Amino acid sequence: MIEVKNLVRTFNSGDRTIKPVNDVSFVLEQGTLASIVGKSGSGKSTLLSLLGALDKPTSGDVFVNGVSLAGMPDGKLTEYRRRDIGFVFQQFNLIPNLSAMDNVMLPMEFAGVHRTERRQRATDLLEQVQLDPEKQVRRINRLSGGEQQRVAIARALANEPKLILADEPTGNLDEQTGDHIIELLSSLSRDHNTTILVVTHDKALANKTDRRFRLQQGRLTEEPARALV
Amino acid sequence: MSVLARSVGSAFRNKVRTAAVVAVLAVAIGLALAMLVANQAVGAKVQELNASVGTVLTVNPAGGQGFEGGGEPLTSEQAATAAAVPNVSSVVGTSSLRLRNAAEAAAQAASGTQAGPGGGQGGPAGQNATTLTTSLTAAIDAGTLGGRNQAANGTTGTTTAQPVHSLPITATGIGGEVDSTGKALTITAGTGLGDYTAESANALLGTTLAEKNNLTIGSTFTINDQTFTVAGLFDSGTTFGNNALYLTLPTAQTVAELPGELSSMIVTVDSMENLEAAKAALESALGTDKADVTQGQNLESAVSSLGSVKNISFIAFVAALGTAGLIILLIMVMLVRERRREIGVLKAIGAPNRTIGLQFVLEALVLVAMGSAVGAAVASFASGGIASALISTNTTTTAATTTGRGAAMAGAAGGAGMPGGGAGFPGGAGLPSGNPLGGASQLLTSVTASASPGVIAAGIAAVFGVAIIGALVPALLTARIRPIEVLRGE
Repeated sequence: MIEVKNLVRTFNSGDRTIKPVNDVSFVLEQGTLASIVGKSGSGKSTLLSLLGALDKPTSGDVFVNGVSLAGMPDGKLTEYRRRDIGFVFQQFNLIPNLSAMDNVMLPMEFAGVHRTERRQRATDLLEQVQLDPEKQVRRINRLSGGEQQRVAIARALANEPKLILADEPTGNLDEQTGDHIIELLSSLSRDHNTTILVVTHDKALANKTDRRFRLQQGRLTEEPARALV
Repeated sequence: MSVLARSVGSAFRNKVRTAAVVAVLAVAIGLALAMLVANQAVGAKVQELNASVGTVLTVNPAGGQGFEGGGEPLTSEQAATAAAVPNVSSVVGTSSLRLRNAAEAAAQAASGTQAGPGGGQGGPAGQNATTLTTSLTAAIDAGTLGGRNQAANGTTGTTTAQPVHSLPITATGIGGEVDSTGKALTITAGTGLGDYTAESANALLGTTLAEKNNLTIGSTFTINDQTFTVAGLFDSGTTFGNNALYLTLPTAQTVAELPGELSSMIVTVDSMENLEAAKAALESALGTDKADVTQGQNLESAVSSLGSVKNISFIAFVAALGTAGLIILLIMVMLVRERRREIGVLKAIGAPNRTIGLQFVLEALVLVAMGSAVGAAVASFASGGIASALISTNTTTTAATTTGRGAAMAGAAGGAGMPGGGAGFPGGAGLPSGNPLGGASQLLTSVTASASPGVIAAGIAAVFGVAIIGALVPALLTARIRPIEVLRGE
């Protein structure tokens, strides 16, 4: 379970103080598929960074299964990211000189998964995101944007995390592949009890989530359980 | 993919830059290794000089050198006196005999062409070597100079045409198995003399002398009708030096019927630093009217020059090593700055700081390994030239001052002071006619700077040590990178 309490993140820009996340509170039960929509610059990615322990809040706290992230030392936060979090970045953030397979195996290597097992699991994940076998051994910089997006999703799933934070996971995908990814995320949430929080502009994707949030000027509001328009 | 494999891959990410970095590193590492090789070579030479001839003093009867002649022979009592001088670690007495082939001597006597005055036969005055007859034949021809020397009347050293004489054979009675410079004899076959009593009938023969006379271990020959057995063969390193033989000192004294007399003493001092003091103490103890104490020509300055080269090469090694380390440091700092985003991503997906740091250290070591391989090749070709250049630059003065004095001297090894052969006149005691270190300049330039695997390995180990230190700083910098700072750019 993810519990967010009065989360605030401020940045100083010259004389101004910006609050991309302003007193945000919500609770996500384990296995929930949720989405956050909002305009560009509304603070969606900042909120994801706070939830994923990439950034530290100015105030407030995030509790993961009752454990406060605010009080965690850096080493524990790294372990938390490695074990419990799967990131899908908007810009993919794959390692360019490694193959798709190596990129997917990387989080497993950090988690100490045996080489044989991580190769097998990486192969399975890349098949799940429908990356052709011959492209699995290609270097990232020789894959298209959509293919890289799929590799990034496979990497996020590598350590079977409890929470997946995805920033525009279908943004670079065609409709058919996007639908497949949405279905994959849904099944993960449903079958593996994985909590998934998706930041998206894609209303179709948002409409398929269990809960929908809107972020405006740093404040989070939950949308009613009806289709977004 | 392991950390090492990722590091190797990263090292080759930009091939042009990798090639440039390796080239720069190779120059620095090559220079460092070349300097280390030179340093080791010079160090070994200094050690060799200090350990052998560098601490040897030669004591001859006063006035026994050159053309002047005269003086009293040294005695066993004087050897005891010399041994008691502070800092003297050993005294080896010698007794020199001059051997003539018995048949040739008889023929010359019959024809009335006895060569030279007795007691100083065949050479300038001042010889106190006693001439005896032997069944042995000299291994080498006298040559022009030998002919003049053997025919000289001992006073004027006349150079008029003389009948051809064969060279005498030098027999030296020794109190220990060392040559005339105090260096251990190089026994190539058989054993040493063993029993150092007057009853000993063993002899060590020079290889060429044994070959000339078809003698092997166990063969016999005579000196003044007394039979001796070849116990061993030695190689002095020179042809003239090998036209000689060694007996035990008591035996030589007995054969020459000169009990208690010494031709010379080889005095070994405990260290180079004490050489001057020991020389002065010996002169004082023995009396300058009784004994001449001589040492290697200006060896101190020669060793000092080599010491300077050693120091310079060591400083240059450290400087080149530091440069290599600095290059690594700067390159890795640049790479860390360039790959901040990648580091941030690795941290975001859970890479521990130590794993990221290790990856960068290994990447640096991959570059250093390539630089070392090229640098070692450079060093193996360049080290000899660099060492020679350093030595010639630093020893020009020394060499110039020593060449004149050393020219007429025999070399430090065997052959010194042997009659004839153009290596100078026989010394006053039939031993080295002067300093055992003839030609210090030759010693200085004879340093062989070969790139031995051990030295190269030690140098590369040092390079890797410095590289690890150089790479650790940027690797530690990666720990300070916060993932959100580099990912916020999105």
